[in-house]
Amino acid sequence: MADKRESVRIKDGQQMRILDEAARRRRQRKALEALEKDNFSEDPHADLKMSKKAPKFEEVMETASTSGPKKKRKSRGDFKLRYRKSFAALLEEEHMLNKDGPSYITACAPPSKFPDRHFCAVCGFPSAYTCVQCGARYCCVKCLGTHQDTRCLKYTA
Amino acid sequence: MATLILDNGAGTAKVGFSTDNEPRIIPNCVTKAKNVRTRIFIGDQIDECKDLSSLYYLLPFQKGFLVNWEIEKQVWDRMFSKDVCQVDFNETAIIVTEPFFNFPSVGEAINEVIFEEYQFQSLHRTQAPTLSCYKHQKDKETSGSLFGTLVVESGYSFSHIVPFLKNKPLKEAIVRVNVGGKVLTNHLKEVISYRQLMVMDETYVINQMKEDVCYVSTHFNKDMNIARLKGPLNTISRDYILPDYTHIKRGHVRPPPQDGGKSKGDEQMIRMNNERFSVPELLFKPSDVGIQEMGISEGIMHCLSLVETELAPHLLNNVVITGGNALLPGFQDRLYQDVRSMASDDYDVGMSTPKNPITYPWHAGCDFSLDPNFPSMCVSRHEYEEHGHNICSQKFNVSSTSPS
Repeated sequence: MADKRESVRIKDGQQMRILDEAARRRRQRKALEALEKDNFSEDPHADLKMSKKAPKFEEVMETASTSGPKKKRKSRGDFKLRYRKSFAALLEEEHMLNKDGPSYITACAPPSKFPDRHFCAVCGFPSAYTCVQCGARYCCVKCLGTHQDTRCLKYTA
Repeated sequence: MATLILDNGAGTAKVGFSTDNEPRIIPNCVTKAKNVRTRIFIGDQIDECKDLSSLYYLLPFQKGFLVNWEIEKQVWDRMFSKDVCQVDFNETAIIVTEPFFNFPSVGEAINEVIFEEYQFQSLHRTQAPTLSCYKHQKDKETSGSLFGTLVVESGYSFSHIVPFLKNKPLKEAIVRVNVGGKVLTNHLKEVISYRQLMVMDETYVINQMKEDVCYVSTHFNKDMNIARLKGPLNTISRDYILPDYTHIKRGHVRPPPQDGGKSKGDEQMIRMNNERFSVPELLFKPSDVGIQEMGISEGIMHCLSLVETELAPHLLNNVVITGGNALLPGFQDRLYQDVRSMASDDYDVGMSTPKNPITYPWHAGCDFSLDPNFPSMCVSRHEYEEHGHNICSQKFNVSSTSPS
């Protein structure tokens, strides 16, 4: 009997999957990107055949790429395409053109001088503990249970 | 000649003629409703929509910068049309606001659209805080001239802390905190969806809920402890009834329950507890969600460290708070409390929030359009046709203006 004894805690501990630093950072980044999102779901009208009044985004894009040498400034509304740049592209441009001197990049507030505060990922109250597996914060056993059942490793970034 | 003022915010555009009493506040987006499949809603047309659940937003702005003209053109068309402002382009000068450090190509796009697409008579491009500073100075002129003004503008995409020497922004000391109303709403959506009810698609409803029940805490830890309490001792918890757009047209706080605490019938309810103040808290502690930046209060102190030491006390004593987030109850109190505790004891701290912090820059634009110097700060269509974008960047560039 004696040799069959084993610690459940140690056994579980060995099997436990732990997210490494990179995966945790990836999760964090994804969470921050979600805060900038305009919509959570896809366009509910995407399956609709657009009426004449509705904007035809994709179609305009296509004509732009297919119609080769277009006469400059001939058509009204081509500014929409010429100035169609993503934020990332604009930022890149700014980086190239405006290296020194105050710019969008330099104006960003630096990291805080105060230490971070931690809040329970489940209930939002101050938390004292960190989930061993994924690094999320929790405040009590009850919240840890909820966290493990719902988020911890359930969806991985 | 009439002057149209367009405070082109990423969330809402504030537009109207200088002779109007109040601007029209128009959502700067095109909206699609899940349950209305026959049409789209451009800008203020959303008022015609009866069912505001699961709205899908097409926004012309990304991170506070105008990137999608496809959408912006539709909103502007609507705004200038006879349904809203009825603009006679040939007889109208326009003031358009843009963010600080707007990218040159976005600025050029604005010039081009204003002059070539709409054929406005003349254009002045500026920033909302610059206008706010102008009005603030002017209104206070009787109480002695103001040397420095610090404008804190907390809007939809981000918050800016802008120091002014007289009327000129000190570009190198501008501080931007990348937290605004959008981040708050999205964070609240995320938190509620995880803890209570899936509302990720209900941006409109949750934003309204945020405006109805969220507040900025002046005693964060104390409020946290109150929020832990059960029953009537918990003075923070609020039950918010969500609209269903058939019987309940608008979300609202349920009056204190006489019968138990359960929601009756079909109505859906969200219990707002620590969410009420921990969400707006992000403005002051972005690091709470992992945005490694200073909050607004700390940002003010950082900003003061970047200006000349003689100017700092003037700025500190003359802070103006604008933008939609200033409407959160407790915003100014918290800012004052934080700044007071961090600033030197020798300096006075003075803050003020205008009656309507959202439309303040627009009203400032009205005042500015009457300034004797205003015509000389505009670019006329004729000048634009002659000199192109160069003259615009000369006249509108923040850094090229010499201190007066």
